[in-house]
Amino acid sequence: MKKFISALLCVSSFSFASMIGVDALGQEQIAGGSAAMAGRGFAGNAKTGETEGVSIVNPARQAFDSKVSFNLNFLLDVSTADRSNSHFTKTNVAIPSMNLTFPMNDFGALGFSLWQHYSSSMRESVNNEAENWNAEIEYQSSVYELVPSYAIRLPFYRAISLGASAHFVMGSFNRNLTLGPDNSEIDSADVWATNNSDVTDHVSGDWDLKSSAYFTVAAQFRGRMASYYLSFTTPYTLKNELEYNFRFSELDTLAPTRYTRSIKVPAMFATGVNYRLNKRHNVMADVAWRAWTRDIENVAGSWNMSQVTKTQNDFNISIGYQRDGSDVFYDSYWDRIAYRAGLWYKNWYVEDVSEIGGSIGAGFPLGRKGMTLDLAIQGGVRLTDDDRNWSESFIGIRLGLVGVGNWGKTRGQ
Amino acid sequence: MNKKKFILFPLLAFVLSSCLFDTDDEGLSNWLSDQGMPSSYKVQTVTVGDLNPLSAEVYRDTLPENARVRGLFGSVSGMSYKAFFDFKLESFLDTLNAADSVMSYLHLRLLDSYYTDASTPSKMFPIEEQLKVHVSWIVSEKMSNSEYKDLENVTDSVWFHELESWNPKYSADTTISVSIKRTKDKKGKFVLDSLSSYLTIDMPKDLVEDVRKSKGNRRLQLSITAPEASHIYRFYGSAYTVYHPQLVMEAMGKKQYAKSYAPMRSARVYSNREKCSDCLVLHGGVYDSLLVEFPSKPILKALSDFYGDEFPYTVGDSNDVRQAVVMAEVTFYRDDSKGQSELGLPVMVVVGTYMDSADVPVFRGEQYAKLNKPLINASGHPNMVFHEGDSLSLQVTYGMRDFINRASDGRTFKMVMRLGKSVVLDKDSTYRDRVFVKADSTEIANGNVIKSASGDTLQVFFSDVDFARYDFSTIKSKPATLKLWLASKRGEE
Repeated sequence: MKKFISALLCVSSFSFASMIGVDALGQEQIAGGSAAMAGRGFAGNAKTGETEGVSIVNPARQAFDSKVSFNLNFLLDVSTADRSNSHFTKTNVAIPSMNLTFPMNDFGALGFSLWQHYSSSMRESVNNEAENWNAEIEYQSSVYELVPSYAIRLPFYRAISLGASAHFVMGSFNRNLTLGPDNSEIDSADVWATNNSDVTDHVSGDWDLKSSAYFTVAAQFRGRMASYYLSFTTPYTLKNELEYNFRFSELDTLAPTRYTRSIKVPAMFATGVNYRLNKRHNVMADVAWRAWTRDIENVAGSWNMSQVTKTQNDFNISIGYQRDGSDVFYDSYWDRIAYRAGLWYKNWYVEDVSEIGGSIGAGFPLGRKGMTLDLAIQGGVRLTDDDRNWSESFIGIRLGLVGVGNWGKTRGQ
Repeated sequence: MNKKKFILFPLLAFVLSSCLFDTDDEGLSNWLSDQGMPSSYKVQTVTVGDLNPLSAEVYRDTLPENARVRGLFGSVSGMSYKAFFDFKLESFLDTLNAADSVMSYLHLRLLDSYYTDASTPSKMFPIEEQLKVHVSWIVSEKMSNSEYKDLENVTDSVWFHELESWNPKYSADTTISVSIKRTKDKKGKFVLDSLSSYLTIDMPKDLVEDVRKSKGNRRLQLSITAPEASHIYRFYGSAYTVYHPQLVMEAMGKKQYAKSYAPMRSARVYSNREKCSDCLVLHGGVYDSLLVEFPSKPILKALSDFYGDEFPYTVGDSNDVRQAVVMAEVTFYRDDSKGQSELGLPVMVVVGTYMDSADVPVFRGEQYAKLNKPLINASGHPNMVFHEGDSLSLQVTYGMRDFINRASDGRTFKMVMRLGKSVVLDKDSTYRDRVFVKADSTEIANGNVIKSASGDTLQVFFSDVDFARYDFSTIKSKPATLKLWLASKRGEE
């Protein structure tokens, strides 16, 4: 199963765009990267509905789902890093998550997610013979989580549900810095020996957890107008088993030296509220918070690369609005569309890095059977205040496909 | 409502917005610099002088080789070759037995590609000598039909293994007069004189009689050698349908009958005839090899002095990836005066080293991958013997990379040398076969002038081997120099 999923993920070329923290954990994909959530500023984990589906931070929510839903999310992203009149841009395509919820009425609801939690991705090259620049940098790191979850409404108080999920971690890390020779320090009579001699500083390895899994537990209250949730995610230690090498081609390498870095990720507290203004208008807000106490050991291992990434308290505040689409098929198409907007402020786990973003989105119903295409357009800035990380501006499009089914339902249920 | 537009509009917006973002030339370079990464690696060189080997030892090639394509016999430069043939004597023995007299001879067709090659030195011809050929043979016991039929199914390797303990009951000498002349045809290409194409070796009387008295199904294994010869003769092997070696038997009486036998298989075995056991003599054209072992200490000390770090590296699993060898070259003192070559062409020295593959040391041939073009144009490839100059420079990049990477286990640096191919285009730094677009003439390393027509190809290497000898004994007395071109991951202080 792991192999199948890994192969699927490789084919999909999963990646995010930010260059910040590439040598640590990379960029975190909050809220499971859902296009619907992204459209409302990543707020709305407390919002329940027929097919709101899996919430990574709030596994209790799916207990209120009444239909089976499958959700697949895509992200197209352009990101530009800037510093002192220098800038460079890169584009990425990603599939940040796939989710499946399976409500079982009184027996609760099961959910499965495949989530790319952290990722570093870039492949850029620079060539300028006059300046002796000849480099190609490639990062491909993905921390995937396979998240089975279960939630059930309390039998004696149906407005409250409890949920839990387990996070099984896997993934791979790959960094290649391919460099051409700079012969400025050697005698001109010796230059012949460096023709066609690109070398690659190669690091590769796997992501794993020190323990078998980490867990999220959550409670959800669904009121007539207001819904709330509280969740707690256990701390965990990520293990990254790495091989450092110097290679001239894939077959011409040195014997690598091996090293395992451990990253202690702190516990996360999350809460949120969704308030229904009238029948179809919702406003919502979410907060997630983690207190990092230890710096993150970087992959580093060569030249003057920094050994650690300093951390800070990492939190995410989101506010959002959604006007639900009409579920009456005979209403006009514009009325059946869900409209969304939101803003977020995120303090990254990387010290002195924060992100401000905004988004608008819509959910377009496709046909009578409940298929929906969620679209979100997002943009914002990542601000930094250190010597290494550059500030970034980003825009992106997220697409989410939601399929809904009535499996296991009898007529009238 | 056309739903496609819902996707199309945002995609269009996305593409347009991509155009607004741009990358400037210095962007990535500056970003790499801020991450502590370079935009290229600085090449540094380290020279280790006065490198004396711990040991140097010659290993001889002793195994029989297949002579399907090319058979050899004769002797030159402290080495000799013995040729072996395996015949089935079919359905002619009764005729032989009844004949008044019998004669037999072995026809060997000389290899045109060697004797008529324009690079073969003209002064070598004519080749004339009285050759004493030593013939030894084994005629088998009478065989059943099935045993006889099965002979053809014996694999060559099994027969080669048997030849390693070749111990014939009978042997005898015979003498032939060799005269090989070559002339030019109308197009100016060399051809062998019609009387020179074959070597015909009369079989000794004892052999003829031994065969004649045999009856039924018999196998004849035959060996010829000429230890006192001054040449090693090349002839077409048993795989050729027309030019294969032929053992001819003639029965003479009232009527005259003759039968020609083609060998089922043939082999050649080289033997070393050098008298100096301490000399580091390698022979060309065979798999003789010279293993030279250098101590690790001077190499690691030079690296330690250069980088200011500890060598060998002993942190963690002790695999040193702090730097890598971009190029490594060992230079030996060279004295060609004790060597001999048949062709007068320079001979390239082939190198191999040892390295780890999945933690198992394996032998790997080093590539002559980097060409010092100015040097080659001026004085020829630096990895050759029998040419101007007094040094021999050999590229040992793979082995040196592995040695420094794994030096913590106390290993020494070992390299293996062998005499390789003869070089025709010794000062051509393109190191590629030359194709002529118009008629031209080229003077090659041994003084031959080769005329080429438009479309002709002149190969870098001579097509056959040179049974040369080269004495590398100075390796033990004259220190070598190792030069390293290095890429390091170390940051700047």
